Amino acid sequence: MGHGTYMDEDRLTASVAGEVERVNKLICVRPLKTRYNGEVGDVVIGRITEVQQKRWKVETNSRLDSVLLLSSVNLPGGELRRRSAQDELAMRDYLQEGDLISAEVQSIFSDGALSLHTRSLKYGKLGQGVLVLVSPSIVKRQKTHFHNLPCGASIILGNNGYVWLYPTPGHQDEEAGGYYTSMEPVSLSDREVISRLRNCLLALAAHKVLLYDTSVLYCYEASLTHQIKDILKPEIMEEIILETRQRLVEHEG
Amino acid sequence: MRDTPLSNCERLFLLKAIEEKKRLDGRQTYDYRNIKITFGTDYGCCSVELGKTRVFCQVSGELVPPKDSRPTEGIMFFNLELSPMASPAFEPNRQSELLVTLNRQLERCLRNSKCIDTESLCVVSGEKVWQIRVDVHVLNHDGNLMDAASIAAISALSHFRRPDVAIQGRDVTVFSPEERDPIPLSIYHMPICVSFAFFLQGSYLLVDPCEREERVKDGLLVIAMNKHREICSIQSSGGIMLLKDQVLRCSKIASVKVSEITELINKALENDRKIRKEGGKFGFAESMPKERITTLKRDEVPVEMTDVKETASDIVDRTETTAEVVPSAVLVGMGTAQIGEGIVNSWALEEDEEDEPQTEDRKTDEVMVISDINSLNLSSSLTHKSATYPRNSLCNVF
Repeated sequence: MGHGTYMDEDRLTASVAGEVERVNKLICVRPLKTRYNGEVGDVVIGRITEVQQKRWKVETNSRLDSVLLLSSVNLPGGELRRRSAQDELAMRDYLQEGDLISAEVQSIFSDGALSLHTRSLKYGKLGQGVLVLVSPSIVKRQKTHFHNLPCGASIILGNNGYVWLYPTPGHQDEEAGGYYTSMEPVSLSDREVISRLRNCLLALAAHKVLLYDTSVLYCYEASLTHQIKDILKPEIMEEIILETRQRLVEHEG
Repeated sequence: MRDTPLSNCERLFLLKAIEEKKRLDGRQTYDYRNIKITFGTDYGCCSVELGKTRVFCQVSGELVPPKDSRPTEGIMFFNLELSPMASPAFEPNRQSELLVTLNRQLERCLRNSKCIDTESLCVVSGEKVWQIRVDVHVLNHDGNLMDAASIAAISALSHFRRPDVAIQGRDVTVFSPEERDPIPLSIYHMPICVSFAFFLQGSYLLVDPCEREERVKDGLLVIAMNKHREICSIQSSGGIMLLKDQVLRCSKIASVKVSEITELINKALENDRKIRKEGGKFGFAESMPKERITTLKRDEVPVEMTDVKETASDIVDRTETTAEVVPSAVLVGMGTAQIGEGIVNSWALEEDEEDEPQTEDRKTDEVMVISDINSLNLSSSLTHKSATYPRNSLCNVF
């Protein structure tokens, strides 16, 4: 009846592997492995693929490339003014092909392409960090997707399955307005924390555990007894996930 | 579906590695990947593996009326297809630039070089000639499709046998393979394409780029050559400026590579011919290994071994000598003791009555055995400095 199902000789059969959603009499199946279907208000992380006349094309693991209009970004310096031809020519100075950005979905075009905006200081170009690609269906929808984990790193859980890990910034540089990317070398301890988190994310994704700040944190703590590179081994991955799941169940109940 | 774009740090890493003359898979600048050529049961069916790039070629022939402009020559038709199986970036029925480039280059390499004698393909002048059709399918894209396609095409053409024909006046009889042995095509020479990828405005070049290296390249130079050092075609794309001596150097490298590859092709053809003559099993089922996937299997990863000796001796010097462990017997319970590491034994906790009559019978023998075991364990502990086997020896002590 709903998406992901079909009638097979009077029997409703799922056509994709995933979770069943039931709303009164409508039964849908949400697939596990899918492209990102955007919704207004989602936080996404994307990579700039093209610089066009008054907009950027951003790749966000969806069926069509998302669009970031020039009018939807904050100008460097935080000024509020009408975009001029000068701004259009200087677009490449702000964001180039290959840059990573965090943005919010503003609206959806009729063909399904997303329109993004970075009109807040927490969005903008991303600096030094690690990008982890997981399936969009295992990122839990929460109130906030920006977390400063107590283990010493920060995480942005993009709804499109792109997760960004970065060292917690020391002080916020307000004037730059989202374009200042710190190029200072990251300390070894921070790097180790981020590597461990990255491996934990891969372990959680492999076992289809919903990703949110608590699950990531529990997984990190469960993995502390092992070496960072051992987390990727299947046997040790299972151990860690088992412990994480137990703690999550205790936490919920 | 568009390919995920290459991240900036990956691009920088690849370029930096190339500057330091290092490649992702550990090859040298002029090294080719492992080439594997296999033939199928049909004549003219060939599969080439260049590292992970896989290309499949099938040659077929049929009798058709010739072209009006050339009534005494046969027709050669080349077709290369990029299957979506090869890469998620390839969409079915989409004419991409890559497809057009590959097709054009393959045609130039094989048709314009006149490596096949088309006059011998004529059956009845002006009426019937052989049309030889070469279909190349790309099965897996891991870089350097051009070279793999040209090797597959020329190997398949050399392997192909066309049916024998007999002409009586205006009547043409085509014999089936059972009636008369099919005849090979007359091939003058084997042109093979060698690709050179240029990076950082032409300052660095790599032979046989893999897929990652192709993504960061600035330009490509493809030289089609045969083993007699005759250049069949040269194509430069990407808009880079090449110096004269760079092109000359590339042609020299190409001649070396082409002679190696030609030898490889000839050896593969010879092997196939021998097996068919002896009546052995031939075809893909025999030559392709059965690749079974097991859950915890890992691929073989090449390891950098250049400074292994120094690192190993460093580590050995820096570690202190381990304290020698001399196991002492731990009395666990009445009639049982434990020597060595391992699980705590629970013999003493369970029925002792059953043990006692047995132990009394074997009293004298046991005593001898114990002393042997003890001495054995002590000596083995001294030799096993690094091993941490859970050595658990349970014995009854009196």
